[in-house]
Amino acid sequence: MLKMENVSKIYRTNLIETHALRKVDLHIGAGEFVSVTGPSGSGKTTFLNLAGLLETFEEGDFYLDGQNVKGLNDNQLSELRNEKIGFIFQSFNLLQELPLFDNVDVPLRYRGFNAKERKDRIENALEIVGLSSRMQHLPTQLSGGQQQRVAIARAIAGQPKFLLADEPTGNLDSLMAQQVMELLEKINQQGTTIIMVTHDDQLARRAHRNIQIFDGQVSDLAQDQTDVLIKSE
Amino acid sequence: MFAYNLKLAFKSLNDRPSLTILMVAAIAVGLGLFMTMLTLSHQAGKIPMPHISKQIHLVQLDNREVTADEAENFNQMVDLTYQDTQNLLKLPSAGVEQTLAWNTNGILNVEEQEIQPQRSSVVATNQAFFTMFEVPFLYGEGWDSDADQFSQAVIVLSKKSNDYLFGGINSVGKQVRLNTHVLTVIGVLDDWFLARKFYDRSYYQAWPDQAFIPSNFAFDSDLPRNARFDCWSTTTNPGKFRTNYLTELKTSECAWITFWAKLPNHNLEDYKTQLGQYIDSQKRLGRFPRENQYFLTNINDQLEVISNMIGREQMLGVISYMFFAVCLINAVSILLAKFMRRTKEVSLRRALGAKKRTILQQHLIEVVFIGIIGGLFGILFSYIGLQAMLRVSLYASDYVRTAADLMPYHQMDWEMIMMAFTVSVSCTLLVGLYPIWRICNVSPASQLKAQ
Amino acid sequence: MEIKPIFLSIKHNKAIAMLVIIQVAITLTVLSGSLLMTTSTLKEWNLPSGIPHNNIISAVPEFYDLEVDVRQSLVDDLARIEAITEVINVSPVTQRPFDAQGIQTIYLEASAEAQEYETNIFTGDANLPEVLQLSLIEGRFFREDEIVVGQRDELPAMPPIVMISEAMAKVLFPDNNALGQTIWLEKGAAPAEIIGIYSNFMNGENLNYFGQSYRTILQPLVTWQNRADPSYLIRVEDGMADGLLETIRNQLYKVDGRYVNRVEVLTRTQKRMYDGRGSHAIMLLVISSVLLLITAFGMAGLVSFLVTQRQKQIGTRRALGAKKWDVVRYFMLENGVLTTIGIVIGLVLSIAFAFVLTEDSGVNILDMSYIFATAFFIILVNQLAVYLPAKKAANVAPAIVTRSA
Repeated sequence: MLKMENVSKIYRTNLIETHALRKVDLHIGAGEFVSVTGPSGSGKTTFLNLAGLLETFEEGDFYLDGQNVKGLNDNQLSELRNEKIGFIFQSFNLLQELPLFDNVDVPLRYRGFNAKERKDRIENALEIVGLSSRMQHLPTQLSGGQQQRVAIARAIAGQPKFLLADEPTGNLDSLMAQQVMELLEKINQQGTTIIMVTHDDQLARRAHRNIQIFDGQVSDLAQDQTDVLIKSE
Repeated sequence: MFAYNLKLAFKSLNDRPSLTILMVAAIAVGLGLFMTMLTLSHQAGKIPMPHISKQIHLVQLDNREVTADEAENFNQMVDLTYQDTQNLLKLPSAGVEQTLAWNTNGILNVEEQEIQPQRSSVVATNQAFFTMFEVPFLYGEGWDSDADQFSQAVIVLSKKSNDYLFGGINSVGKQVRLNTHVLTVIGVLDDWFLARKFYDRSYYQAWPDQAFIPSNFAFDSDLPRNARFDCWSTTTNPGKFRTNYLTELKTSECAWITFWAKLPNHNLEDYKTQLGQYIDSQKRLGRFPRENQYFLTNINDQLEVISNMIGREQMLGVISYMFFAVCLINAVSILLAKFMRRTKEVSLRRALGAKKRTILQQHLIEVVFIGIIGGLFGILFSYIGLQAMLRVSLYASDYVRTAADLMPYHQMDWEMIMMAFTVSVSCTLLVGLYPIWRICNVSPASQLKAQ
Repeated sequence: MEIKPIFLSIKHNKAIAMLVIIQVAITLTVLSGSLLMTTSTLKEWNLPSGIPHNNIISAVPEFYDLEVDVRQSLVDDLARIEAITEVINVSPVTQRPFDAQGIQTIYLEASAEAQEYETNIFTGDANLPEVLQLSLIEGRFFREDEIVVGQRDELPAMPPIVMISEAMAKVLFPDNNALGQTIWLEKGAAPAEIIGIYSNFMNGENLNYFGQSYRTILQPLVTWQNRADPSYLIRVEDGMADGLLETIRNQLYKVDGRYVNRVEVLTRTQKRMYDGRGSHAIMLLVISSVLLLITAFGMAGLVSFLVTQRQKQIGTRRALGAKKWDVVRYFMLENGVLTTIGIVIGLVLSIAFAFVLTEDSGVNILDMSYIFATAFFIILVNQLAVYLPAKKAANVAPAIVTRSA
């Protein structure tokens, strides 16, 4: 589903080169729920940007759903993002002036669906996150947890293969965080691959598999038995 | 606190200098055109001889036929006939000065061959003209009543004519020819600036006359009469009186001579009574078929009527208002955008204890500063604008008018400069009110939580 | 398209949207008002003269001494002017091209209710067509012996023949050949026969204002009246005109009792004919273009500012799959919506303004095509002004979204 071979990302300024990621080899299968952890400045965000096609890389190969994305132009990357990836951000990144309905509508518009299909998908997605009654509200009228659920609805409305979640509970209190996590797990069970970047070990352990990034290098850890136990309960 | 706010305001102006420049430029350009038009109309609206203008009255008697239209103001009324001017001049009234004026023209020339003759516009009038209108003399003085009575060949030259014909020397006593008539120079005017040339009712700006001669002399020499002749319909082709038929004109009911009386307040009622009595006496002679009506209009009231007539300048004036409005709106939308970006910062400052007043002060300083700088550049632009308008006037008159004559009408005075600053700062403040109000009402907490 | 989200976004930024709309509306009003005024002012402006005006000098003397023998001075003047080597030809006239005074009426029949035709009558001797370099279209020019000479009110009879311009012929005889026809230059006077038709030349401001610039009639007549003796039209060798003005003035001053009012190249006369209108129109155009510039710059500044304000939003849209073009289109569409609303309001204002101007000037200047053209132009300029900052905005890296707020 997602395969990185020897991928490196280097930031250059006039004076210094920073290796944000070095020779990453990674394979994530379809339907997995993978957590990515690591201390600040380790390269987590860079990994996320690469995986989400938000940035390009210099070396190596990256296959997304079987397609090598290396060398694709900006328009092709935009289309791939739109179709295959759903984003969930720490700070939600909802468009403040748009009601929930239109926020969820944004990626569907770029996808080029017709009005009927968009409406069905939006209503369905908001139904899943339990906010269909508040479709015409503005984001500012919602709590943080609700806003994040809108972001999730926006991410899944296009039925992407991947969800990329960047500290999805970082701005939420524990109760709301719990709800959001349960939602993500539900989505995962329905077959969507999820990659979640977090610094919270507790959360990370709820994933099938945990990837640690340290100083730009990735180490793929076997998944913890306890997580499986928790999951199976 | 003020110093701190000052610092913040300047930091903000410096934040994106191109936007600050854009705002200042918009205000300055808008103000520039606005002040250009305002100055023109301010100067054009000035009243000649303001200290006596309310005493100087245009005298008009309604000698028209019965079927003529009602006249609402002096502008719809005819001037005086020759015989009425002569009769009024003989009215026994102490303390009242009266004069008449009509335009003629001729070729002024001197014996010297090197100085080519010059076509000149000449005013035919009487001795009271110079004292009544307080005309300044460089050399000599106006003529006396004998000159009027015996139609002596005397002439008063304008400064410019004297410069041209005599090289600026004291030419009193020298001879000058108007066409073929030889006249003696009796006086030379100093610079005589009239905001508007009122005495021939042209109200022209910057078209000064070149010489003044006794009216009776002008009649005797049969100089052309450049006037509009309002005649009864029985007189056909009144245009013929311009150059001919003087004897017929003198006894006709054709009105064409402007007549002026200087009436200090206490004389006004007496004079009115006299005019009424005069018309009645003439009615007994079979003249003045209409009701007893006369108009006495002082210079201020005349200009009031004249300035209400719509001209080309007014249309430019309307455009300049709209232009300024667009420029202000332009500036305010940028200001608004700029202030609104700052909501987060302001809400943080409020949370950290800044009072509404402090926030208000900080932004007021910013807006007033923009207004002042805009005003400064606006004055500069309007100076350029006025210069350009002067050039346009020169060009459009085919350089017949001179820059020196036009200058007073294209000059900013202190009143206008103060006006420019006031307009600039108050308009910027006015349009800045909304953005300031918005930013001052940012609540301390609203923007602090992550969106 | 994304009209709905754009409306929602506009609703969110009501104040700025309103300001943009008002600005566009007033700009359109001022611009179309100026344009209408300008076009109506410049109507019939700077038309071809039909003559080599750069090489023709007009000299307008007058006598202040009524004792002078005008007939003799005329002979002397002509001799003195012709003696100047650079002079090709000279003719004594009473009207000059670009400067024809008043409007004369002529008739095709003698009856009292005959239809009036407006024209300008130019008088001169047999040299006049050559001085003006008129080309003969039909018939013939005047002969020397056909010229009538004398003081206006002492003339024994008016010349029985005239020539008319091509434009005049078309007006008088749209269907027939004008040659050989008779016209009446004055009611009750004897008619004159048309012996020739010549190429058009500009008459003057009065008829030009009514769009009748080339209606002229030539009369084989050398005449003078009171003080105004005949003026002279003098054709000189190419490029020599400016240098000869002083010489000609001095020659004319050799007769005493005379004032030489104006000696100038016809180029200057032509300038004087148009300068009032031209300067007014240019003033309006300068003001309009400055206004347009200000609006454009203001719009560009505003958008580039809003763009920095909305970086995160743009990044989010990019992350959700918007292409660069989608972002540019979004801003252009947003501006387009606002501009269009402003234009609609501005159209109403413009029409009202045009009505006011029409009422003031008495000339109907309302022409919707100019207003629509101005509106279209404003939309174009605004879109251009938005395009550049929007293009910059599209370059916001989508990775901005993963940076914490």
